[in-house]
Amino acid sequence: MLKSILSRGAVTALALAGLTTAAFAQLELKIMAPAAPGGGWDGTARSMQQALTASGIAKSVQVNNVNGAGGTIGLAQFVNGAKGDGSQLMVNGFVMVGAILLNKSPVNLSQVTPIARLTAEAQVIVVPADSPIKTAKDLADRVKADPAKVTWAGGSAGGVDHIMAALFAGAVGGDATKINYIPFSGGGEALAALLGGRVTAGISGYGEFEGQIKAGKLRVVGVSSGARLPNAPDAPTLKEGGVNLEVLNWRSVVAPPGITAEQRKVLADAMEKMAKSKEWAEILKARGWDDAYLGGAEFEAFLKAEDARVGKVLRDVGLVK
Amino acid sequence: MDTFNALMHGFSVAIEPSKLLFALVGVFLGTAVGVLPGIGPALTVALLLPVTFKLDPAGSLIMFAGIYYGGMYGGSTTAILINAPGESASLATALEGSKMAKAGRGGPALATSAIGSFVAGTIATLGLAFLAPWLVEVAVKFGPWDYFALMILAFVTVSATFGDSPLRGITSLAIGVTLGLIGIDRLTGQARLTFGVPELLDGVEVTTLAVGLFAVGEALYVASKRFRDPEEIVPIKGSLWMTKEDWKRSWAPWLRGTAFGFPIGALPAGGAEVPTFLSYSTEKKLCKYPDEFGKGAIEGVAGPEAANNASAAGTLVPLLTLGLPTSATAAIMLAGFQQYGLNPGPLLFAERPDLVWGLIASLFIANTMLVIINLPLIGLWVRLLAIPQPWLYAGILVFAAMGTLAVKASVVELSMLFVFGFLGFLMRRYDYPVAPMVVGLILGPMAEAQLRRALQISLGDPMILLENPGSAILLGLAFIGLVAPFVMSGLNRFKASED
Amino acid sequence: MASTSSAKGADIPALVVAALLLIAAALVAYDAKSQTIVSTYGVGPTAMPYVVSAVLGVLGLCHLVVAFREGLPKPEAVDSTAVLWLTGGLIGLIACIGLGGGFIIATAIVFSATARSFGRQALAVDFGIGLVLGLAIFLMFSKLLQLTLPSGPLEKLF
Repeated sequence: MLKSILSRGAVTALALAGLTTAAFAQLELKIMAPAAPGGGWDGTARSMQQALTASGIAKSVQVNNVNGAGGTIGLAQFVNGAKGDGSQLMVNGFVMVGAILLNKSPVNLSQVTPIARLTAEAQVIVVPADSPIKTAKDLADRVKADPAKVTWAGGSAGGVDHIMAALFAGAVGGDATKINYIPFSGGGEALAALLGGRVTAGISGYGEFEGQIKAGKLRVVGVSSGARLPNAPDAPTLKEGGVNLEVLNWRSVVAPPGITAEQRKVLADAMEKMAKSKEWAEILKARGWDDAYLGGAEFEAFLKAEDARVGKVLRDVGLVK
Repeated sequence: MDTFNALMHGFSVAIEPSKLLFALVGVFLGTAVGVLPGIGPALTVALLLPVTFKLDPAGSLIMFAGIYYGGMYGGSTTAILINAPGESASLATALEGSKMAKAGRGGPALATSAIGSFVAGTIATLGLAFLAPWLVEVAVKFGPWDYFALMILAFVTVSATFGDSPLRGITSLAIGVTLGLIGIDRLTGQARLTFGVPELLDGVEVTTLAVGLFAVGEALYVASKRFRDPEEIVPIKGSLWMTKEDWKRSWAPWLRGTAFGFPIGALPAGGAEVPTFLSYSTEKKLCKYPDEFGKGAIEGVAGPEAANNASAAGTLVPLLTLGLPTSATAAIMLAGFQQYGLNPGPLLFAERPDLVWGLIASLFIANTMLVIINLPLIGLWVRLLAIPQPWLYAGILVFAAMGTLAVKASVVELSMLFVFGFLGFLMRRYDYPVAPMVVGLILGPMAEAQLRRALQISLGDPMILLENPGSAILLGLAFIGLVAPFVMSGLNRFKASED
Repeated sequence: MASTSSAKGADIPALVVAALLLIAAALVAYDAKSQTIVSTYGVGPTAMPYVVSAVLGVLGLCHLVVAFREGLPKPEAVDSTAVLWLTGGLIGLIACIGLGGGFIIATAIVFSATARSFGRQALAVDFGIGLVLGLAIFLMFSKLLQLTLPSGPLEKLF
């Protein structure tokens, strides 16, 4: 929630700088962040604002926040209110896919026009340093033997952490419906439960546990990316540990329904230009996000695939019927 | 000794005139923004953080500390002056503080709050400097069962403050707990009592309920009896400053509030609400003038305010030693620290002692600065109450609406504010206490989530609550608190019949 | 009022509260009953609602008893004009935001109606003051703090 706020001062400064360099740009955009100011999506939206204006791709960018219910309130407003408007965009991500199903949202992601995936963050599974579990295989054996005895600490129910716990159980041949997942509010509480030895394992974005991992208080069982993370070369991937599982907490940007093909192309081109700009690269570096740009039809297919995967998991763990 | 030297070094950096100026500006900005209703300390810090980035690390840290304390104090000012607490932690302050303000004792209320914050902040920051590594070891050992027991203890203690009718008090509390059920269940993600209204999925905002019941409800109530029993708001009666008597009645609550606030604030899921409630109930019990409670007792401001500030310093314990952000404010501070190149966590004290001790020294200085610039402002704040009554209440309602819209700009949220306002009006008419309702909304969901986590870990075995010494002791205390009044009154009656 | 006819003994306000509490108890229980998802371990999302429902039920019955005994405290009479003005102001506020009138006009409505409710007889002047106040708050939020308040025709000018 925090990072975005920090960027706010920088945003203003850069927005001013942007005005001078971007005299030729005509694009005026409105980006909705379906979360409170300070949330991850808000951070993405405001970083986009910063990159788009600073690089001169857009003349002006406005960010508005509509928070509530995992982004589904913003989504509903976007689908109904921005229909056919080629100057609007909305930030979304992995979490919204689950929230739509959980909250029985009347609108869903098939109603928006996919534009591009922008960033992704690897997840990590950790155990307390004094835990007898050393590797992904150790954890897999326990989950297979008795899923009830393996307590997982992570973020909100139905969120990316929860879904990953279920996917892990499924991937190792355990019973995903029987996982004992305990949602905590915010990373801090889950971390405390881990450090206090109250739970078996914890799942979160790598950044959230980084300090404790480096201090040797938590041990990495596996990261969820395809290859080892550049900032944590010692941490093995789950795949190396013999668990065939890849989960990325991605963020993307979509346009309203009912826009014309030209409008869509303008937006898609702008996003592609932004994603390849040096301003965007600097923001990604400063915030520790990975570039995961994926545009056009590929992103559309990716979104469908993730939707199907998340839907199946949520039904498996019994959160959606 | 090491700690002491490090701290002294921190002070030597923070005491330069330019740094003092940054502290002053920080406190001023923090107070100015924090005083807006609906903008609690978390949002204040978030909004003003970018201002600090333009300075060097030492300067930005000290300005940041100033913003933090200023924001906290600004929140209490709104609670006292217009009965619109900007966050749940200043709820207890509003109870007595707003009564004092209306009776012309706004000056002493704001003063005891400022000085209490200073005393609590100073003691708690000392605790942070010297006890943090030890305290944090204990704090992470706290399991869900212990938190549940702590919530139960808070429930029992608070129920002692229900007023003359236990039935009406419990009813108010039960309605609050019911409101707490609304929204997405934290442990399964299921929607409860939302009736298909998507805006209800996130539950009822504590500030919407508190501002509705307190500020709007009160405005309706006062308007309704305007002719029969016109309310008289006296901006200043007696001394603007705390009298000798006020000092005598304040110092012990400050210290007790600190004793509640610091350790509970240091718990990863302790929060600021529980200690403020505990402090309020304790002061009400111990007060030599119990009749004054509900009419503006200074102890009821001094204690909770100290508890609030001490718990804020307490949240820095897990934040600095473990990198655990345990409140919204702490989460934003964490981001701020990272921007200054401080990476809170187990290695921080070893890796960057200069910055840590610089920060702790900054906290002391900002805390002092807060008192220095806010005490003279009290006269100005209190004068706000001299605005003619129609405009005063009109302004209060505008600020209530603004606070609600700043949190969530939706018609549903405003409608809730209105409904709660009307409810508050009716409850005042029929002499139902309104505070337990807010307490129920805050504590209910916390207690439920912790109990269910505990039972999930124990695979459904309730004995886990009694097998762990921490929770067993806390539940024992709660039980004693529950039955003691009955036993005592029984004994008294027994004695009386003997005579 | 019914409360004075002690022969019958039933206190109407207490009866109303009793009825509302019992309805609330039923609603909470009904909502819990219609939950389809349960937790695999420990207690599920319905346990607490059932407890709350039971407590509300008991409190409702207690109020029923109270209604036939001492009743609720008798409130003093209401200045209904004042309450109506204030309520009207709040409803005006909600309607104005809901219909897209924006924050500034909404502020002016609630400000002037509240001042009227507290006895001022200068609605137009107060409306003007409300407009200025709303504008000041709006500008502070949008320009200084970069927070968006609901926009209407007036806000779009800035």
